[in-house]
Amino acid sequence: MSEKDIGKGYIELRFGPRWKYIACARSFIQNFLAISIVDQTKADKIAMAASELLENAVKYASGEDTHISVNVSPKTEKISVQVTNIATPESIKNLEKVYDKISRGNSLDAYVSQMKEAALRSDGKSQLGLARIRYETGGDLKMEIEKNVVKVSIDIG
Amino acid sequence: MNRLGIEPVSEERITINVLDNPNGITVKFTGDIDMEDPSIILDPLFEKVHDGVLENNYKEVIADFRELNFLNSSGIKAVAKWIMKLSEVDDTQKYIIKIVHNKDITWQVTSLPTLTFLVPGAVQVE
Ligand SMILES: Nc1ncnc2c1ncn2[C@@H]1O[C@H](COP(=O)(O)OP(=O)(O)O)[C@@H](O)[C@H]1O
Ligand SMILES: [Mg+2]
Repeated sequence: MSEKDIGKGYIELRFGPRWKYIACARSFIQNFLAISIVDQTKADKIAMAASELLENAVKYASGEDTHISVNVSPKTEKISVQVTNIATPESIKNLEKVYDKISRGNSLDAYVSQMKEAALRSDGKSQLGLARIRYETGGDLKMEIEKNVVKVSIDIG
Repeated sequence: MNRLGIEPVSEERITINVLDNPNGITVKFTGDIDMEDPSIILDPLFEKVHDGVLENNYKEVIADFRELNFLNSSGIKAVAKWIMKLSEVDDTQKYIIKIVHNKDITWQVTSLPTLTFLVPGAVQVE
């Protein structure tokens, strides 16, 4: 095996915030993972997570473009997906609030409790995406905020 | 058409048909639910189904997801909202939502069973 074959594989996508590009990015990531890792169930879960993160970036980013990177360690099949965007202080505050709430305790309980709350909301939000990602991928959901730049990532072992 | 007279919904990449079944009604999803606000089509549809089923005292609704390739979290919210309506129905009128899923579609295996935790006894996944 050549050195290139054992190194980390990655893709990066950058696109203008158009809702229609999300499905396209999801298929692209799915295809990328299909050839990068053996475990196709994992590939499906990551494509779902990437799609949810991109939906957020398109919905809540202020102006700027949407950026996503997917990194794969071929040997261990460890994958990390990271979405970066600029956001308003209100969005960031809300993100921190939701993140805090859904990162605690059992991921299924957190998800079901968000679902119950979502069903009773009437403001059009669901606040369900991040809880879904955490539960359904079983991965490690992380959030980094620096001034107005938001990075949300998920690591799946 | 079906006994409840509910029209099919066809929008972007999704088609939803409501069909008769011997015990009640079937809601069948085909395609992808990945638009920004799926509640615009799902909320009114689930409301019609729920009201029609109560009016006719049907005991079962089959939600057939087998041909749904993708459902985003906003879509899951709409389904959860429908299920939660059952917590307000009194026992004599209660019906069961039977979710039929496709084992080859990963999100269906991970997402759909979680819907059984919303209202005790209201949802079965098969
Ligand atoms: N990329 C992002 N940039 C800014 N804010 C975000 C981002 N992702 C999430 N948020 C904030 O976190 C909240 C929770 O996200 P999520 O769980 O996906 O629920 P929803 O998308 O239904 O609002 C959002 O309502 C939003 O306020
Ligand atoms: Mg979201």
